[in-house]
Amino acid sequence: MANVLIVDDSSTMRKIISRALRQAGIEVDEIYEAADGIEGLNSLSSNSVGLILSDINMPNMDGLEFIRQVRANGSNVPIVMITTEGGEDIIREAINSGACDSIKKPFTPDQLNEKLGGLL
Amino acid sequence: MTPLNLAVAEATNLHEDELASYVITAAKEVFGTMVMMELEDSYPLREPITHFSCSVTGMVGLAGAYSGILSIHCPHEFAMKITSNMLGMDVEEMSADVHDALGEIANMLGGYVKQIISKGGLDINLSIPTVISGEEYTINFMSDSDCVSIPFTYDGGRFLVGLKLKKESA
Repeated sequence: MANVLIVDDSSTMRKIISRALRQAGIEVDEIYEAADGIEGLNSLSSNSVGLILSDINMPNMDGLEFIRQVRANGSNVPIVMITTEGGEDIIREAINSGACDSIKKPFTPDQLNEKLGGLL
Repeated sequence: MTPLNLAVAEATNLHEDELASYVITAAKEVFGTMVMMELEDSYPLREPITHFSCSVTGMVGLAGAYSGILSIHCPHEFAMKITSNMLGMDVEEMSADVHDALGEIANMLGGYVKQIISKGGLDINLSIPTVISGEEYTINFMSDSDCVSIPFTYDGGRFLVGLKLKKESA
C-alpha cells in the first residue's frame, strides 16, 4: 500500500476520486488532499507519497507547473492527470512535463482501476 | 418555439442540431457517470430563460480560438440532489459543497465542449468555474442572439444547460 496525493481545486472531485479509489479496490494507505499546485508542493514537503493524481486547470499554480516543480525537486513519483482537458496537445505537454498518464473526467471506478492498478 | 440559434452553429462551423447533440451528449455522459442520473432532454427550449428563483448557476468561460460561456442553472432542491449523489451523502442545505459541485459539473461540461471545438487543447483556455446562487437573480448575456439553452429533466426535477459560443478571428 502507498500514500496518495490528490491535487484538485474542487473538494467534490477530491472526495469522488478518494471514493472511486476504494470502490476500484485499489489499496491505499493515507490520502492527502491539496486544492492547487502550491498546496500540493507543500504537502509533498511533509508527506511521502507513492502516487500523485492531479488536475490541470487550477488557480494559483496549475497542474502543468505543479508537475514541472515536482520533477525539478528531484521526485520521480508517478503522476497521473485527472482532468477535463482531453486535447492531445495538452496531454502531450503534461507527459513531456513528467506525467506518466492521464484520465479524462468524467470517469468510472473501473477506468481508474485500469489506469492506476499497476502503479500501486 | 425557439430553436437553437443559427448564429451559434455558424460560429462553431457546426449545424445547430449537431451542436445541440454535443451538449446533450456531454450532459448525459457527465450526469450518468458522476451523478448517477440518467437525464432526459427536452430540446428545444420553448422560450429563453434569463430570470432564476431559488437557484444556483455554475459557469466556466472559454477563451482563445473560441470564446464563450458554458452554464448550468439548477433550482436549489435539484442542486442539493446532484451534490448528494456526487458525494454519496445526504445534502439538505445550500452550502459550499453545493456550489463546488455545480462548479465542477460546469467544468466537466465545458471540458467536453472544449474537446469538440479545440485543435489539440492548447488553443482554447478554460476558466476556473464561477458559481452564483440566490433567491432571485437575472443573467443577461451581452447578446442573446448567440446563446443556446437546453432543458433537462430527471425524476421530476428540471435544469438548464446553456452554451454561448463565438469563433474569434485569427
